[in-house]
Amino acid sequence: MFPKVPDQHKRGKPLVPNGIGVIYVLFTTVYLFSIYFSRITPASNGVSTPLTLAVCILFGGFMGLLDDWIDLKWRYKAFMPLIAALPLMYLAVENGLRTSISLPLIGMIEFGDAYYFLVIPLIVMIVTNTVNQLGGLNGLESLCPAIILMGLMVLSPSHLILMLGPLIFWLILAGFNLQGKIFVGNSGSFAIGMNIAAFAIITDLKLPLLISILPYVFNSSLILLTIFLVKKRASVSFDGKKLSSDHRRSLVTLITYRRPLTEHQVVVIISLLVAIFTLIAVIISLL
Amino acid sequence: MKERLVNGLKAFGRLRIQTSHASIICYSTLLLILFIAFTIRVLPIRWEIPTGDVRLNEFDPYYQFSLTNKMVRDGLLSPYLENGGEGWINYQQWYPDGLDMSRSLPALPMTAAILYSIISWLGVNVDLMTFCSIFPVIFGTLSCLIIYFVGKDIGGKAIGLFAALFLALAPSFLQRTALGFFDTEVLGIVGLLAFILMFLRAIDENRSLRSSLVFSAGAGAALAYFIGAWGAAYFLVDLAILFVFVLILLKRYSQRLLFSYSLTFGLALFVAANIPYISIGYLTSGAVIPVAGVFLLLCLLEVLRHNISARTKVLLAGATLAAVVGGFIALWQLGYMQNIAGKFITVLDPFVRSASPLIESVAEHRISAWGNIYFELGLGILFFLAGLYFTLRNPTNRNVFLLIFGATSLYFAASMVRLLVIFAPAFCLLAATGIIGILKPFYTLLREAPQIAVKSKRRIARVSKEYSGVVLFLVFMLLVTNFAFAPQNGGVPRVYSQAYSPLTVSAASLPIGGENLPEPAQEWLDMLSWTRNNLQTTTVVCAWWDYGYWLSILGNVTTLADNATVNSTQIENIGFIFMASEDKAMTMLEKYDAEYILIFTTLSLAQSSEGTYYIVQPVGFGDEGKWSWMARISGQARDRFVQDGLLSAGEAWTDETDFGEYSNTTGRFEWNDAGRASTVYKLLSYAKQRWADVSGTEYGVVPDEAGVAPTYFKQAFFAGLDLKPAEASAKYGGLIPIVALYEIDWASYYAATD
Repeated sequence: MFPKVPDQHKRGKPLVPNGIGVIYVLFTTVYLFSIYFSRITPASNGVSTPLTLAVCILFGGFMGLLDDWIDLKWRYKAFMPLIAALPLMYLAVENGLRTSISLPLIGMIEFGDAYYFLVIPLIVMIVTNTVNQLGGLNGLESLCPAIILMGLMVLSPSHLILMLGPLIFWLILAGFNLQGKIFVGNSGSFAIGMNIAAFAIITDLKLPLLISILPYVFNSSLILLTIFLVKKRASVSFDGKKLSSDHRRSLVTLITYRRPLTEHQVVVIISLLVAIFTLIAVIISLL
Repeated sequence: MKERLVNGLKAFGRLRIQTSHASIICYSTLLLILFIAFTIRVLPIRWEIPTGDVRLNEFDPYYQFSLTNKMVRDGLLSPYLENGGEGWINYQQWYPDGLDMSRSLPALPMTAAILYSIISWLGVNVDLMTFCSIFPVIFGTLSCLIIYFVGKDIGGKAIGLFAALFLALAPSFLQRTALGFFDTEVLGIVGLLAFILMFLRAIDENRSLRSSLVFSAGAGAALAYFIGAWGAAYFLVDLAILFVFVLILLKRYSQRLLFSYSLTFGLALFVAANIPYISIGYLTSGAVIPVAGVFLLLCLLEVLRHNISARTKVLLAGATLAAVVGGFIALWQLGYMQNIAGKFITVLDPFVRSASPLIESVAEHRISAWGNIYFELGLGILFFLAGLYFTLRNPTNRNVFLLIFGATSLYFAASMVRLLVIFAPAFCLLAATGIIGILKPFYTLLREAPQIAVKSKRRIARVSKEYSGVVLFLVFMLLVTNFAFAPQNGGVPRVYSQAYSPLTVSAASLPIGGENLPEPAQEWLDMLSWTRNNLQTTTVVCAWWDYGYWLSILGNVTTLADNATVNSTQIENIGFIFMASEDKAMTMLEKYDAEYILIFTTLSLAQSSEGTYYIVQPVGFGDEGKWSWMARISGQARDRFVQDGLLSAGEAWTDETDFGEYSNTTGRFEWNDAGRASTVYKLLSYAKQRWADVSGTEYGVVPDEAGVAPTYFKQAFFAGLDLKPAEASAKYGGLIPIVALYEIDWASYYAATD
């Protein structure tokens, strides 16, 4: 059923079904609709939280499918998530979510109304796109977002139910992805990115999100700066066993720079990096 | 014989309408959409049936009803020709000057009067108010039919069907075409869509000249009808002018354009200038004058098309430009150009409105916040934006029109909440274009997978049929979140909560509907029935202007103000009556020969902190929420009141802050001495006290503040006084509406002042 694409980092480049992330989108939508119908999370100030989350994830999945199909240009990819920011902005305004953020060392920053109209769209745009940019290795685009999502869920037990089912489902997909049996595709990475952003906004976990996604932001900054300044893209070579690179234009190429590593090792290193940042985020939030 | 019979039957069989399965499905779908459009609009009848009557919604429709009633009774032109051509003055409204009913657009009441006369002649026995109540439902459904044809012309049947479905379920459009909303927008949108349909067909060069002639005449008639139906006609006139001007800029001038434009606008403006109330002055108003300017430009282009020398071309162009600019300057200097209708200007520049509390006090006149637009459109915005993208990529004449229509109507909708209704058709057409634009490749892929050509060749292998199916399903799910389970309204899309609500009077102005209101709220109906049965038509009842139409038309008494808001001084005076102390209010009431004063309040119960008794307190849906506007509006005339000796400079107020302040501690407005001495405070607090005394005593209910009995206002009839707390909880979700009518005790007043 799903289009198959070659796995570039395996011998013989076997064909692997791509875009499986769409199943996650469908599952999560059904799950969140069930939460809505069962009234486990009732509407707050007239806004339904599970439906808001479902709309965002649906939109993320839809955007990913379009990207899989027509290779969306970066300018569309960058700004399209803004549409999904609308339901979140509305939810934040109606529920009067906190418009400030407490940063360690810096202290409290009060955004006022700019939080709704500037910060939320920026969060959605940045998280969705940075999550989408860190991929290309088996397990990387599925395992790392799952770690961040788990961290956010730990910090928001009251909203745990919203993401419990989808997280389990995503972890199953991540297991297959790690073994190189499936790719979640852009539909999966955009959807999970949107999912993380939406969940963090709904649960008012801005700081933990900010800390957790630092590896992602670093990766995207590296990629974009290289493109803008050197006009070169990151690429990793595969000798049939290990990955290596002769430049440092992304997180993956930085890790494999003149140090050949297996695909699995690279994924473990990046996942550990994300896990460390997520742990720091959790600890800081709990303190 | 047998053969002849068989041949005869075969010949009969050839009479069958030849139609494809696709057409059958298309028209069945369209019929279903129209059925949905009709049934969803008629839902409020569920609360009307138990009362035995079908009334009108909100307030303005009663104005249109009284005009229709007059036309049915005394002839179509009677409102304009009475009093020796001066027009009908209704002295039951805006006492003592009365309301000049000849200053009304005639298309809606005339259409309704004609149709009502026809159905009465056919023997259908229905009362006029019921007919007027159902009228918008029928014309709202008709609009959905017309937009199907507009959409079909733009991009095919699928766009037409989606546009019709979206319009059928557009909340702002539904609100103004639902049962009882007998107001100008109903015919306005029909006229707007009919004009768009026919004008775009008229300029279509693929049609025959004869067809263009017919459609131009039709577009002219539709535009004239629109001008006679809705004050927003300036929008359509200027939209069409702008569209033709853009076509000129895009070098798309054609003889057909000149022909259609001339015929359409010539006919429309000729008819419009002869419509009662719209005089010849309409043609020289600033918003209509550009019609002539664009016409001159078209004529110039026609001349320039011919093989004439370059020198002549330059001369002609210069002369035309000079004529257009000179003409504008001359008209401006002569004062004609300043004649742009005030409302049109207030839409173009919404900040003009903010200076007037009288306009701003009406919720539908406020600037649309982004939340209003998102609440209305939901994630349909995605498809709207996609529609803009696809129309920009394919700028045919129709798409150019659609773009301009979308952009301008969005501006108007952003300027005023009420004008979301004018944006609804543009949104529906663009969103339908967006959806089809997104789905078309995937749909095509589903049908013809091997032959499909996609943009990027390397992607062909990656896109399968199933994949296309998933995209279709995701788009479907996105639509589901818009039309079935909308997050922004707690899961129930606004259109359904909007549709399944009673008429305002049958809900006693309470913001409840659906399953939360099992039966009609009787309080306002009881009050209007009481005034109708116990007071004279000439009895003057003072009330805030919101209730003017209900009292004069349903309650059959004489009122001082209503939603016509024709006399701002009188509204300021009514605000004065409510905000001033009783003595001073009586001075003003005396000027108006008022015999009664009415106040409407809504209450709810809260448990005391000890949990041993209940406290009844105002909730803000009645005059206890509106009095701040009374203070602001009357505060604008403070100098006049001081000059007239009604108030001293020290007593005069500017706005509600002179009567107290909002307390963050209690979460309530805390009245000061001036506030507690005001008439409105006493009328409200006494009504609350009376309810606590009559219906709350046995439940241990006490008012949040002890009621103050007014000196010169005696209880005449308080509707809702016998509504028990348990009953209010079961029927109105705990809300308690009290409509309090006080009789003015002139004898006491004169005794006290003599």
